[in-house]
Amino acid sequence: MEASPRLRKSLHGAVMKLESSLLRLVAPLACALASQNALADDPAVSFRNDVLPILTKAGCNAGTCHAKAGGGQNGFQLSLLGFEPTEDFEAIVKEARGRRLFRAVPRESLLLRKATGQTPHGGGVRLQADSHGYRTLQSWIAQGSPYATENEPLLTSITVEPSRGIVRMNADQQLQALATYSDGLTRDVTQSALFESNDDAMAEVSENGLVRTSNIPGKVSVMVRFGGQVAVFTAAVPLGAPVESLPAPNNFIDDHVFGNLKQIGVPPSPVSDDATFLRRVSLDIAGRLPTPEETTAFLESEAADKREDAIERLIRSPGYADYFANKWTSVLKNRRDDTNDIISNFAFHAWIRDSLLANVSYDQLVKELLAATGTIVSNPPVAWYKRVKDPKEQLEDVAQLFLGVRMQCAQCHHHPFERWSQDDYYSLAAFFTRIGRKPTGVAGEDLIFHKRGLATAKNVKTGADLVPAALGDDVGKISADEDPRLRLANWMASRENPFFAKAVVNRYWKHFFRRGLIEPEDDIRETNPPTNPELLAALESHFVESGFDLKELVRVMTRSKAYQLSAVPNEHNLVDRQNYSRYYPRRLQAEVILDAIDDLTGARTSFANLPAGTRAVALPDNSYNRSSAFLQVFGRPNSQSVCECERVQSSSLAQSLHLINSSEIKGKLAVGGGRAARLQSAEISHEQRVKELYRVAFSREPRGDELSTAVAYLIEPIEDASGKPLSEPAALKQNLQDLIWALMNTKEFLFNH
Amino acid sequence: MTHPFHASGCCPGPGRRRGFLKLGLAGFASLTLPGLLRLRAENPDPEHQGKAVILVWKPGGCSHLDTYDPKPDISSDYRGPFSVIDTKVPGMQFTELLPRQAALADKFTVLRSMRNGAGGHPAGSFQMFSGDSDTRDKPKPKYPSWMSIANYIKQQHRDPGRSLPYYVGVNSPSSYNSPAYLGDAYGPFTVTGDPNDPKFSVPNIGLTDQREVRHLSRRSSLRQNLDTLERAFDQAGELQALDEFEEQAMTLLTNPQTKEAFDLSKEDEATRERYGRNTWGQQLLLARRLVEAGVEVLSTSLRGPLCGRVNNWDDHAVNHHVFDALRFRAENYDRAVSALIEDIYERGLDKRVLVVVTGEFGRTPKVNYQPSTGAGNASAPAGTRQPGRDHWPRGFSNIWFGGGIETGRFIGATDKLGEDSIERVCSPEDFMATIYHHLGIDYSKITIDDFNGRPTPIINQGKAIRELIG
Repeated sequence: MEASPRLRKSLHGAVMKLESSLLRLVAPLACALASQNALADDPAVSFRNDVLPILTKAGCNAGTCHAKAGGGQNGFQLSLLGFEPTEDFEAIVKEARGRRLFRAVPRESLLLRKATGQTPHGGGVRLQADSHGYRTLQSWIAQGSPYATENEPLLTSITVEPSRGIVRMNADQQLQALATYSDGLTRDVTQSALFESNDDAMAEVSENGLVRTSNIPGKVSVMVRFGGQVAVFTAAVPLGAPVESLPAPNNFIDDHVFGNLKQIGVPPSPVSDDATFLRRVSLDIAGRLPTPEETTAFLESEAADKREDAIERLIRSPGYADYFANKWTSVLKNRRDDTNDIISNFAFHAWIRDSLLANVSYDQLVKELLAATGTIVSNPPVAWYKRVKDPKEQLEDVAQLFLGVRMQCAQCHHHPFERWSQDDYYSLAAFFTRIGRKPTGVAGEDLIFHKRGLATAKNVKTGADLVPAALGDDVGKISADEDPRLRLANWMASRENPFFAKAVVNRYWKHFFRRGLIEPEDDIRETNPPTNPELLAALESHFVESGFDLKELVRVMTRSKAYQLSAVPNEHNLVDRQNYSRYYPRRLQAEVILDAIDDLTGARTSFANLPAGTRAVALPDNSYNRSSAFLQVFGRPNSQSVCECERVQSSSLAQSLHLINSSEIKGKLAVGGGRAARLQSAEISHEQRVKELYRVAFSREPRGDELSTAVAYLIEPIEDASGKPLSEPAALKQNLQDLIWALMNTKEFLFNH
Repeated sequence: MTHPFHASGCCPGPGRRRGFLKLGLAGFASLTLPGLLRLRAENPDPEHQGKAVILVWKPGGCSHLDTYDPKPDISSDYRGPFSVIDTKVPGMQFTELLPRQAALADKFTVLRSMRNGAGGHPAGSFQMFSGDSDTRDKPKPKYPSWMSIANYIKQQHRDPGRSLPYYVGVNSPSSYNSPAYLGDAYGPFTVTGDPNDPKFSVPNIGLTDQREVRHLSRRSSLRQNLDTLERAFDQAGELQALDEFEEQAMTLLTNPQTKEAFDLSKEDEATRERYGRNTWGQQLLLARRLVEAGVEVLSTSLRGPLCGRVNNWDDHAVNHHVFDALRFRAENYDRAVSALIEDIYERGLDKRVLVVVTGEFGRTPKVNYQPSTGAGNASAPAGTRQPGRDHWPRGFSNIWFGGGIETGRFIGATDKLGEDSIERVCSPEDFMATIYHHLGIDYSKITIDDFNGRPTPIINQGKAIRELIG
């Protein structure tokens, strides 16, 4: 289990009791007046340039505190992370009858008393009374709390120094945040900037910008934010171990992966043995175990290119199309909300699957989906518009799925780590505003057509009507007769598009290598840099050069030696989590385990409305999760989300109970004509029985000790309820079932490794 | 790896972050499993260890006016036919339907001023289970229920030696609560059926057949011998987690303690009688038994034939004759709930275990008459006009006990006609926050990422109801 990847905790925001501080204001008045003039004479302080960054750094406008997006504790509402300075100015200076500030005695201002905890504050102490921030706020209040000072320059950009570097493990690196203003001057804003590491396990950063690395090698980055601008520091953290022998590279992927390993001094594990490779690549490409015949042939083959050969066979097999259709239909929300959806679900799944099998290029596939018109039966991708109806959901899904850009936040506020604004959001939505719908003979299904007219979408905040623009790119004027979706599709699939190829190669990289070069795989932004940018760029151009060929993408990844490395660590690379110095094992997904259990036991799970023998990876939609406790318990997604994270890959108690004791598993073990029954009656030796089971379950021969343990178990006598020994065949049958059960419950079975 | 913390100044340097870890129950994104194990060892948090909650759910919504919030002086088109009785607490009255609880009124607290914003069963339930402020009925909840969230947070610190799951649903309120984006692994361990049935048994718990237990142990040790995959590569702790769950599953299956926790026959006859020998009574007894044995989140729903014709508390005139229906349920309901109250205190569970009895809303104070749609328990033959009450979220009651809270009082009030909560108005999020507080979950600080990676606070606005804090 990955430890609570989605649980967060902020450091303040506890229950806050609003208490009037008015009573406390009178006494210190006299002595305070003395220092008043000094403050007023301090350099001019502006809300926009000086005060707001302090509030942001202190966390006042964070989601769990006073940010409007989070509700704003106790009626004090600020814009999330200070992206709306004028509104925040209003809130502080004018709302609540101006009682938040007290110019006569600035330090008695509610704002300062709360921030320093002198007046009970649910958020605790956010500012020390002797700090730079406190002093700045005090001066600003004393100076009459202006929004801006006269002719003040505007922030134009920020940079971080250094912007990249090599930092040893367990070492420190001080960062400096520099802000450049419209008058050309640069100011050190390290004290007011916010620093955040993208991987706390690798490096932590203090509020003053001191980076401290841990003992994990690789790339880590620190995001620096100030005044709505971001900059990124990227550090390479070397392990510095000698890298003496590297596998001979198979393609450019190896050049980049091994190049990086050499640079940071992480020696890779050796290339895995044949049995491990075959099992791994069959599971990753076709979502199934190799058959015992495939295993035997592969292990016996002496051909030099037998791995390439196995990859080709898998890519050409229907299993490839089934497995990847399963991946895509889930994030494309091929969901059965109603029993009537069945035709649409089947048609959409068949369209994806057949396109993958025929290797329709990825740009073509996306264009067909995006610009779909007509009815589902005549044009299955229309089904996407049946399920995803709201233009906002359409743009969000398209952006996240095909561009790796998460736009959801920008609907309501400027994305905190992103350049996307609400204008970007609504101008992307504008592409989807001319979708016409006509009811068809089938309940719930619309005919989709282009509704003539100029496409515009209203920015709900500013009220401005926006024409289509693709993430800030002008796509030219779109006439009333043109379907704007076509323009978007063409923009997306152009060779220069910085997101399109990157998003899919990173998604596929994660499929085969477990960890995306960018993580999460669909959160691509400048502030979340890839761990190996050269590799990502090379993959992108290879994919574009190949004509967006998805099978070639699978081929080039699985052919690399990097993919074929053993999972077993050497003395140096156990700590490696992102440099691909070994294969990172992962639990099989729900459908794949179910099929693998069927293969091992010889049972077949049957699914409603589908031909007998349909495998779980070939299921068209989510409705089967309801009838299969297995799929549900093992986390098959319900196609609710565009994010692959909806699939639960972590283990749980319910899963273990199911594998250990469910009637479903018991039934499969004992199924008539199943493997246990067949092996029991076959006239073969116990050794042969065990060998067959190992070939199916693990795609390898048992080792000597395993063979003897298993054989010893097979010949153990068993007593029945009355204490009498079972007949030899009956005992053998049960022991075989036990052995199959035991193999199915090993990590070697449940994991791809 | 996502950004572990909400990016904000709320998260200062590493030093303070670690310091803070010691205070709360939250798990951390950046910690690997081994990290969490270490954390658990360093940070036992004894004060909240084992704190538990029982939710007794009345699906459909129970009429507040006819139970805990009677208004004897209003006109009969509102009041209903039930007379009012004094309770053990001076100044607090119930209707005649609840004589046992009235006699025990010093042992619980009535909150008479719940309010939620949703008129439909789905939305009303989503509000009470997940704090979703959306007033529209959606097919599925968007946010995880507080039960699943509590389970999720507790599992970040799970004790591999536990013999029971953290979260059990005994005929749990099923349709409108879910783990949503937490994943199904954080739903309840589900027990269904009639615990009053002599043949009642819980699958996957405490195998009774010793031969079966021996068989399981035998093949389990074979598995261990053959489970040789190199654990060394387990940097992410996944194999270890799986080992832990397997061990827990084996414990559930074979541990006599686990079996005993689910075995109502171990209760003496008098106790079983006291709760009532029917589904509801035995359900609440099982709930008590399970939390006593170590379950920390328990939900149970009072539904089924004991409700009347439509199997729930949804007393529209078309469904039930509302007053007949309430009378029909009263005896079993009053008996079961009062037994649970007494038992929680008598067995010394009153500090550790907080119990709340509620539905998603109350029912319309003004009675309306409609033709019945069918005959059955508490409903006249189809076409017969009968009184009903409809959905009423603006003011309703629930009761609380245990949890170390001050009892023998009521909190808040509805207006003269019982239509609006007017004093000490409490929202669904206040309701949830109160429960989180009891469980030691620092609700103001924890966010969980949804599928889009948006850090979603487990409570947006609510605050624990101070009168219900132990």
